[in-house]
Amino acid sequence: MFLTRSEYDRGVNTFSPEGRLFQVEYAMEAIKLGSTTVGIRTPHGVVLAVEKRVHSPLLESSSIEKIMEIDAHLGCAMSGLTADARTIIDHARVTAQNHSFTYDEKIKVDSVAQAVCDLALRFGESVHDEEAMMSRPFGVALLIAGIDELGPQLYHTDPSGTSTRYDAKAIGSGSEAAQSELQDKWHQSMTLQEAQILTLRVLKQVMEEKLDQHNVQVAQVTTEKGFEILDETSLKNVIELM
Amino acid sequence: MAQQRQFNPYSNNGGTILAIAGSTFSVIAGDTRQTEGYNIQTRYAPKVFRLTDKAVLATNGFAADGNQFVKKVRQRLEWYRHAHSKEMPIRAIARLIQTMLYGRRFFPYYVYNILGGIEEDGSGAVYSFDPVGSYERETCRAAGAAQSLVQPFLDNQIYFKNQTPPPGQSFPAHLPLPTVLELVIDSFTSATERHIEVGDGLEMYIVLARDSGLQGLDGFQGVTEMGATPEGEKLFVLRRNLKRD
Repeated sequence: MFLTRSEYDRGVNTFSPEGRLFQVEYAMEAIKLGSTTVGIRTPHGVVLAVEKRVHSPLLESSSIEKIMEIDAHLGCAMSGLTADARTIIDHARVTAQNHSFTYDEKIKVDSVAQAVCDLALRFGESVHDEEAMMSRPFGVALLIAGIDELGPQLYHTDPSGTSTRYDAKAIGSGSEAAQSELQDKWHQSMTLQEAQILTLRVLKQVMEEKLDQHNVQVAQVTTEKGFEILDETSLKNVIELM
Repeated sequence: MAQQRQFNPYSNNGGTILAIAGSTFSVIAGDTRQTEGYNIQTRYAPKVFRLTDKAVLATNGFAADGNQFVKKVRQRLEWYRHAHSKEMPIRAIARLIQTMLYGRRFFPYYVYNILGGIEEDGSGAVYSFDPVGSYERETCRAAGAAQSLVQPFLDNQIYFKNQTPPPGQSFPAHLPLPTVLELVIDSFTSATERHIEVGDGLEMYIVLARDSGLQGLDGFQGVTEMGATPEGEKLFVLRRNLKRD
């Protein structure tokens, strides 16, 4: 498929005669190269977990940041070109802040996912004569976790600007194996701890290195404490429970 | 002397508005006379507007600005409905009105707003604003030409100011709906007597909280239902004539 390149590979916004946007499709491929990221929704909250690839023993693993806060009640985990995610998350944060500034209420998870998707398709756009602000699609997918008046929710957004709600979702290089494992193990009445353990078990199965508190990152959104990234001690505790 | 020219974009169209919150209802009222100086422009110009089935906005001051502002608020409510697939809660409407008014800090809408309705928790709410968006939630508020006549009356009758309760007793935080409606009607008949810019007609919007029954509203003649939310809040309007002199 990718060997048969054509002139439709050139313009980012040009449809091929078969009705495809190649650059968007390639961007989706970039995510499949990214580290595995898992999200699980439970009635008590949402858990996010990512694999951190520590290439070198000299690398400070704490400097790899793949889960970020959007607002007190919203967090997100990423897979793909993580540098691209900074732009997206910045946009999501501004959108969330603007919402609470204007309406004195927390923004809904769905609305943030939608705001992210609005940005995803802005590539190649330019005002006459000026350079386009974004030259290519984002090469990153997000799992957005949050709690609003509709309860705990998990959304997946990708470079095509599609957002979908999931009970449990895996993205990244090990996503196929991880997703089928989630399908087997997820159930309606999971506790938060069960979800934490499941995310790590799923990651363990697809990771090459041995899983420890340095090469994974876990975060959760709960009604009581909102978004929080688990510190090393609590992460260690969950790993011991596996 | 050199010729002086002035740009005079504002006018004052008189009238008075008033809102009172109960524990499970909210009443938002206004007279319908529109004046300019000693002239009556019309005897029926509504100043109280339905925003949603549980939020009502009353505007007073410069009528053209008021109408334009209500139009803008309604547009924002529709956008919000499309973006977030729900009705905007009254607390959010109050904050939105602040941001909209302050956005015109240096060419303000010459309007005093009072917003009434039912809060998400089912309680009756009244929010009052100044023309540049300063706002607070209150139990009752009067604004407009006869504010100085009506507000002291409400302070006494709603907040029981300058009254002492009988020994061992205390004053209620909220009054029942029929009492409130009688107070509103009395406020406007009195304001009509003593203020030349108030009169002609009285429009009272009543929002009832979900599962709170009619609260005695059935005892009033000529009540019209204006709408209801899927959750059960109900909106009514009650009209009375005021003296036309």
